[in-house]
Amino acid sequence: MYPFWEVPVWTSGIFIALIATFHILPCHLATGAFWFNVFVERKALNENRPGLLDFIQRYTLMILVFCFVYGSLTGVGIWFAATVASPRSISALIHNYVWGWATEWVFFILEIVAIYVYYYTLNRVSPKTHMRIGWIYAWSAWISMVIITGILAFMLSSDSWIRTGGFFDGFFNSTYWPQLFARTALMLGIAGLYAIISASGMQDSRDRNEVIRLASIWGMAGMVFGGIFSAWFLYKMPESAKSLSLSGGLPYLKNMLYAAVVCYGLVFLYMLVAGFLRPQLAGKTLGILMLVVLFLGIGAGEGFREGVRRPYIISQFMYGNQIISADVPAKAIKSEKELFKNGFLAHIYFVPDSLRTITPENEKAAGHIIARHQCGNCHTFDAGGRMRALPALFTKLGMTSKDDIAAWMDAMEGYAYMPPFLGSEEEKQAVAAFLASKMQ
Amino acid sequence: MELSNYLNAMRDASGVPFYPVVFQFFLVLTFALHIMFVNFLLGGVVVSIWARIKATPNMLRLSKALARAATINASLAMVLGVAPLLFVQVIYDPFWYTANSMSAYWAMAFLLILATAFTASYVFYLSGSEKAPGALGWAVFALLALLAAGGVIHALSVEQLLPQMWKSWLISGNEVNAFGKSLYAFEWHRFLHFMAPSLIMAGVYLMLYAWFFQGRKDYNKGYLEETAQMGADLALYATGAQIVIGLWWLFSVPMEFAFYKNPFFLVGAGIGAAFFLFLLTARANPIKNAPITALIAFLTIFFMSYAREALRMVYTGKAGYSIFDYKLSLDWGSTVLFLGTFVMGLIIMAYPILVAVQVAKNGKESNNEGLARLATALPVVWFLVVAGLGIVISLKNGTLF
Repeated sequence: MYPFWEVPVWTSGIFIALIATFHILPCHLATGAFWFNVFVERKALNENRPGLLDFIQRYTLMILVFCFVYGSLTGVGIWFAATVASPRSISALIHNYVWGWATEWVFFILEIVAIYVYYYTLNRVSPKTHMRIGWIYAWSAWISMVIITGILAFMLSSDSWIRTGGFFDGFFNSTYWPQLFARTALMLGIAGLYAIISASGMQDSRDRNEVIRLASIWGMAGMVFGGIFSAWFLYKMPESAKSLSLSGGLPYLKNMLYAAVVCYGLVFLYMLVAGFLRPQLAGKTLGILMLVVLFLGIGAGEGFREGVRRPYIISQFMYGNQIISADVPAKAIKSEKELFKNGFLAHIYFVPDSLRTITPENEKAAGHIIARHQCGNCHTFDAGGRMRALPALFTKLGMTSKDDIAAWMDAMEGYAYMPPFLGSEEEKQAVAAFLASKMQ
Repeated sequence: MELSNYLNAMRDASGVPFYPVVFQFFLVLTFALHIMFVNFLLGGVVVSIWARIKATPNMLRLSKALARAATINASLAMVLGVAPLLFVQVIYDPFWYTANSMSAYWAMAFLLILATAFTASYVFYLSGSEKAPGALGWAVFALLALLAAGGVIHALSVEQLLPQMWKSWLISGNEVNAFGKSLYAFEWHRFLHFMAPSLIMAGVYLMLYAWFFQGRKDYNKGYLEETAQMGADLALYATGAQIVIGLWWLFSVPMEFAFYKNPFFLVGAGIGAAFFLFLLTARANPIKNAPITALIAFLTIFFMSYAREALRMVYTGKAGYSIFDYKLSLDWGSTVLFLGTFVMGLIIMAYPILVAVQVAKNGKESNNEGLARLATALPVVWFLVVAGLGIVISLKNGTLF
């Protein structure tokens, strides 16, 4: 196992969660914005309304700065965060989907070239040429979503990949199409909100109100269709995910879903009232506030998607603690369950020699190392921890002694959302001793 | 557990979907492109600051031009950096993941520092206007942040090359340091060897800038000549410094590696020396010599990147690791998808770049109808082909409905 990064209070996953959630804002803007941009540009040309081009310039600059500085950085940031928080899982994804990511990268390059040329050639090339460059951007950006959705969906529903190991079998899995349609619709919703914010600063009130109204129609349509396709996604989720979330296995997941719906609903209402019905009400402050609401909604939605994968980080293949849980014969991959059952410490390189043999004197220290690798991706160990702190959980269950905790670890396989403990009896006792010591 | 056992056990169980040498080639190629834009960015900010301080009308104009270029170079450097980041994780995963996990907060801080640097460079650019230059403090701030980011990524890279040290860095008594707060390695000669080329490439950039705009009436001859001369001088002196730093670095590499005899190093160093000699003559007419200077500069970067990769192979080989031992799980489908898209991408990209060049050089576009149609049609064709494939596979696997 790789060296473990222990983040007190929150676990390392908080970095992925924050960066990934933030990333959705610029990346969905990047993918969705230009469909609206090109639409407005065409309108400006067909109706001879050069004032509308003011919006194009503002909106494109906003996309440039926000998406191609903070969007790109947070995109890379997800990789870095995954690298340090869950290296074996990102490694597994990369080794199966490297060419998918590399293909996406080609479209990133196209995006960036196209948007700079688009921005700097406004009013300097023929309208036809300018729109063509806009189309190249719009398609390239959206195709990057077409690709990354396959990898994200694979993490929830690997389906026949477990049997075949095939790139495309895993890519076009059972939640791919619903996710692609839902994300496509929602990207238009997000782009609509940004467009309202951007247009609210336009000087000409007629152009301003018209763009805001158009943007709100795009945004609301995106939200409605996003809702419909999200429902399809919920229907297509694996049974285990449904049982955890919709059937109440983990009640917080349902709450996250409700939170997402409420946030998206608020944004929809804003678009309806301050966009479509009374565009003069739209302003930067309220718009940015709605962006924050949207951010919370996205956070809840993505949190739900991540949460329903449990106990896996990659569906059926790898547990949340980065241990391989299944054979993939086509790739000659063996499950690590049997291997680790006979002794886990022997497979960790970064262990002091003095802890290689567990004794009563060193069992807490050895237990700490094992607990980091088997529990630490999802749980904190200190009483003040905010992320599924084990002392708080055990206190709630009334299990505070070493024996209680060891017995609970035996029973863990019965929890649908928990990976089993994998290690020797001696190692289990060491982990129990360590966790019990954190109860005091 | 022995180090080599650890390294080989941590190779990803899925294997690699194509021959490692191909990933290695793309790693080097994309790293060379990435580092070239990093050099343009870093060196451009340095020259922009210097020109801003000099504050003659020509220099203020140059400072503004470089401030604007910095924002574009930042975006390109970042996006181009995604590819080597991806490929290094494919063939050097045990090194990459171990080093980053050991210094996890720094890996996270790297992004924050970069965000700060890019923000500062944007503020520097946007705080300027037609008449007034940008606020100098932001440029200096951007430069310091860029250097700090370079320092962090450098330290993470060196950590990867010293696996024999890993245990001693992390383990103390009965404790394993899992808090990721420390950086463990830093080599000044290597760091400077990556920083000095920024000045070289900034010089090349200035020469290219003058060459590119020489036909435009709104760029006066004196301004362009001054810029090109400054570029040629900067490239020459910085290359001289780089040769000295390179020798310093070379002597620091363990003698047992005999790296001075490595053919990749010899080719890279040879082209670098040829570049230096060429610059001596190019200074006489820097505008005319700009394209060939840029070409040799890129070749130097490319072959020195290969030399860097060769050195990494020596280091990792010493630890009992070879990329060529990676388990092969050949996947032709996804390989063809990438290679096809890569070629298609170059064709599509040619169109907006051509338009931009024509407008910047001549003030107007020429007739590119054929390429325009092709470039706008190809993404749609790509999507139709992939979506069609997806539908067939989904139907076959019963995953569509």
